[in-house]
Amino acid sequence: MKSSFDRRATLIAAAVGLVAILVLFVARSGPLASMRVTVAPAARADLAPLLFGIGVVEARRSYLVGPTTAGRVRQVAVDVGEVVKAGQLLAEMDPIDLDQRLAATSAAARRAKNAVDTAAAQLADSGARREVAAANARRYEELGRKGFVSSSVTEGKTQEMNSASAQFAAAEAALAGARQDLARLDAERAGAQQQRGNLRLLAPAGGVVTARDAEPGSTVVAGQAVVRLVAADSLWLKMRLDQQRSAGLQVGLPAEIVLRSRPGQVLPGKVARIEMLSDSVTEERIALVAFETPPKDVSVGEMSEITLRQPLVKQALAVPGAALRLRGGKTGVWVLRDDEPGFVAVKAGISGADGKVQILDGLKEGDAVIVHSEGELTEGSRIKVVSAIAGT
Amino acid sequence: MDHGIHIEGLSKRYGDGDTAVEALKDVNMRIAPGEVVGLVGPSGSGKTTLLKCLGAVIEPTRGRMTLGGEVIYDSEQGGWKTPDLRALRRDRIGFIFQAPYLIPFLDVTDNVALLPMLAGRANSASRARALDLLRALDVAHRAGAQPSELSGGEQQRVSIARALANQPPVILADEPTAPLDSQRALAVVRILNQMANQYQTAIIVVTHDEKIIPTFKRIYHIRDGRTVEEAGEGREIS
Amino acid sequence: MISLAGRDILHSWGKFVLTGIGLGLLIGATLTMAGVYRGMVDDARVLLTNSGADIWVVQKDTQGPYAESSSIRDDVYRGLLGMSGVAQAANVTYLTMQVRHGARESRSMVVGFEPGQPGEPGYLVAGRRLLRGHFEAIADVKTGFKLGERIRIRRHEYEVVGLTRRMVSSGGDPMVFIPLKDAQEAQFLKDNDAIIADRARTTANPALNRPGVPGLLDAVTASQTVNHSVNAVLVKVGAGDTAASVAQEIRRWKHVQAYTREQMEEILIAKLIATSAKQIGMFLAILTVVSAAIVAFIIYTMTLGKIREIAVLKLIGTRNRTIAGMILQQALGLGLIGFIVGKISATLWAPAFPKYVLLETADAMRALVIVMVVCALASTLAIRAALKVDPATAIGG
Repeated sequence: MKSSFDRRATLIAAAVGLVAILVLFVARSGPLASMRVTVAPAARADLAPLLFGIGVVEARRSYLVGPTTAGRVRQVAVDVGEVVKAGQLLAEMDPIDLDQRLAATSAAARRAKNAVDTAAAQLADSGARREVAAANARRYEELGRKGFVSSSVTEGKTQEMNSASAQFAAAEAALAGARQDLARLDAERAGAQQQRGNLRLLAPAGGVVTARDAEPGSTVVAGQAVVRLVAADSLWLKMRLDQQRSAGLQVGLPAEIVLRSRPGQVLPGKVARIEMLSDSVTEERIALVAFETPPKDVSVGEMSEITLRQPLVKQALAVPGAALRLRGGKTGVWVLRDDEPGFVAVKAGISGADGKVQILDGLKEGDAVIVHSEGELTEGSRIKVVSAIAGT
Repeated sequence: MDHGIHIEGLSKRYGDGDTAVEALKDVNMRIAPGEVVGLVGPSGSGKTTLLKCLGAVIEPTRGRMTLGGEVIYDSEQGGWKTPDLRALRRDRIGFIFQAPYLIPFLDVTDNVALLPMLAGRANSASRARALDLLRALDVAHRAGAQPSELSGGEQQRVSIARALANQPPVILADEPTAPLDSQRALAVVRILNQMANQYQTAIIVVTHDEKIIPTFKRIYHIRDGRTVEEAGEGREIS
Repeated sequence: MISLAGRDILHSWGKFVLTGIGLGLLIGATLTMAGVYRGMVDDARVLLTNSGADIWVVQKDTQGPYAESSSIRDDVYRGLLGMSGVAQAANVTYLTMQVRHGARESRSMVVGFEPGQPGEPGYLVAGRRLLRGHFEAIADVKTGFKLGERIRIRRHEYEVVGLTRRMVSSGGDPMVFIPLKDAQEAQFLKDNDAIIADRARTTANPALNRPGVPGLLDAVTASQTVNHSVNAVLVKVGAGDTAASVAQEIRRWKHVQAYTREQMEEILIAKLIATSAKQIGMFLAILTVVSAAIVAFIIYTMTLGKIREIAVLKLIGTRNRTIAGMILQQALGLGLIGFIVGKISATLWAPAFPKYVLLETADAMRALVIVMVVCALASTLAIRAALKVDPATAIGG
């Protein structure tokens, strides 16, 4: 009898245990299982709102140096990375026939000068003739009046004098013409010389050569760059911020710059300018951030992450941002009251760097707010408060 | 003397026509309550057929059987008196087999109490009677044991207790001593006699065991389907 | 009345329990299989629920963004916001890729979303939401990332600031959420070598690199690297409007395709996972048949081992009903043990599966009924064998 009872008792115990395990599993993992949550109180805290954006290193002043007329590059005197001074020769264009044209205009000018000399001599000659003709005319007029010569002779001498005067005037005009011709040719030569000088591309300001876009022999059009320069001391960052998250952006905000080339190093800077125009396609605002002290060896076009720190909001009522939920189009938080979760609509303000969000309305200090949960909460959700759910 | 077993003109034929075999031919027997008789015969003599007919397992071809004063079979009156042969077997016939054939998954008490329970008697009453029987058979100390834990003799005694459980007027014992040595065999026969006496049960022991044949007061010899009654030695068992 | 079945089970409980456990593991596998299917359906539903949208606006004539690829301009949403009935509209991108985590890679879906708009994960299990517009990420815990770790996606590294749970693609891949602009870049920006090769190609094209037009080449190369495409626009419908009517309007006027939640479910569940569902259905059917066969054989064998006892029971007057009842009860008992063991084992190993396995209580109840019915049917074989036993065989050995 005894052994039979023992066995029965053992088996009944085993069966009860099996069913108990089953019930335990159903309760812990099925739809009846309670949801684990973490809870934090709404509390006063100092919030440091931050703005975040992507920046690209740019030069505030950059120069594209190229010829004013189309032409072929003859030589490029500098290479990328070279530091140049203002006025330094950067490149030279091929003059082609410009020198010959200069020589031709010089010869023409010289010839014009000779023509002026000739005209001046002719003028002197015709002046002398006019003097002689005038003296003869005066003398014959005297003689005619006294009746020594016939009036026809007198009239002939007067006509000779008039003719000499006209010849003089003509010589005078010829001289003026020759002089003007000379001035024109001089000007022409000066122009050609100027053009010759323009083929030398000089640095407009001191800076660093960033690009050498054309090599000797290549043809460039007017306005195309042969050499690019940037002013090395004028590097700053063009920062793009999401329009949605750009409230509070203003000139002078301190910036923390992390260049992609040195991820561990935070460089100080500040907002130098805010562009009036937003990028409407990418929906970003553009701000320019200057380095406090420009770092060495930074490359133009390098990407960076920029964090702007806004002034502290002191002692704001705040909850962790993960607590904010959207429910039926309303923003709110789940508040734990008597161990039952209830949804409370709130008005959220700024968010701080640590993810806390200011609560303007809807909560009071000390309210227990559900931060993390294993799933979507509903009224009457069975919950279990734990210190952390996973992954920390 | 209407109680006990009364068989008149019992015949059993297997098959039809040319292939028919007459296994029992006009058998007559009469056994009183409290009497133990032997049924002896060689193999194929018809003793198993007779046992099966008596045990209401197969139907005789002709004749009449009376158990405990009630006619259970009469070929003149439409054969079996009751259609429920199982209930008949359960309530009126006790069986003892060559091997104990205890139900291995029931303990000793339940093996004995099984039949009354199946017949719808209360469990406690059945168990109480089972314990009485076990006590009478001197195996009460093994009441809670599993059949596999018993010795052969103990098992056979439990099977005797089972046969008695429903207080049947008749017990059919089929070679109950075959696997036992002579001492144990004689002990079984002694118990059967004792029980027959105590519960006024008619017991037929089918056997060809030379050790126990001398103990019967009355023996039916069966040969070629016919029985011959003769007196036995009725030797006392020491 | 004495319970023969119970006594038999008690007598040979070791064999019985071991058989039950074996059967239970098989039932556990079956339950898990059903759970895998439920998990797939749930993944699809969760994907739709988590996106928080009422309408998905995708490229015309596609069934995107999950079932097919879809690409639309990222300014489409402005036009949608102007429509009546549209409360919120937000761009979203989806990119399935291998995300490296230490030495191992895991398949993840990178989602580009706009903070505060539909598409943002609704809840976190750790950390915070995105604060910066760039280079921060929220990852599903299944990706294995922890807070503060860095994920490399294409050319940028993202810091994990938040963790979420059950955020998966329709394929069950865990999600990584990053800001939309970064995601657009990650999705459409090519690697550096490709960009340089493209630039060289453009430079070599005389039509685009004309000596007389300075600046043209720069403009062309710049336009090649910007991307103004997204995969879908998620729309939230205002109160008082039905998603169906708003979607209808969008389809009619905007030259895009718009799906409501119901249509999206239809696409995801009926189309995307239809073949897998049939596959699993086949498997379930086979497992059920195998379980039934096993129960039938076990019960049959157990019964054959008791033929002698059954003959004796019959001879001494046990009714057929009692014997059939014994066998049936044993089959049901075996089924019950199997079911409990199966349910426990399925619950135990389900979390270890790489994809979500959802064990529904209703499924378990259904399984219990099926197991019981199958066991009852399987026992008929044994019952028939038992009833055919001739009680006469107990006599005369």
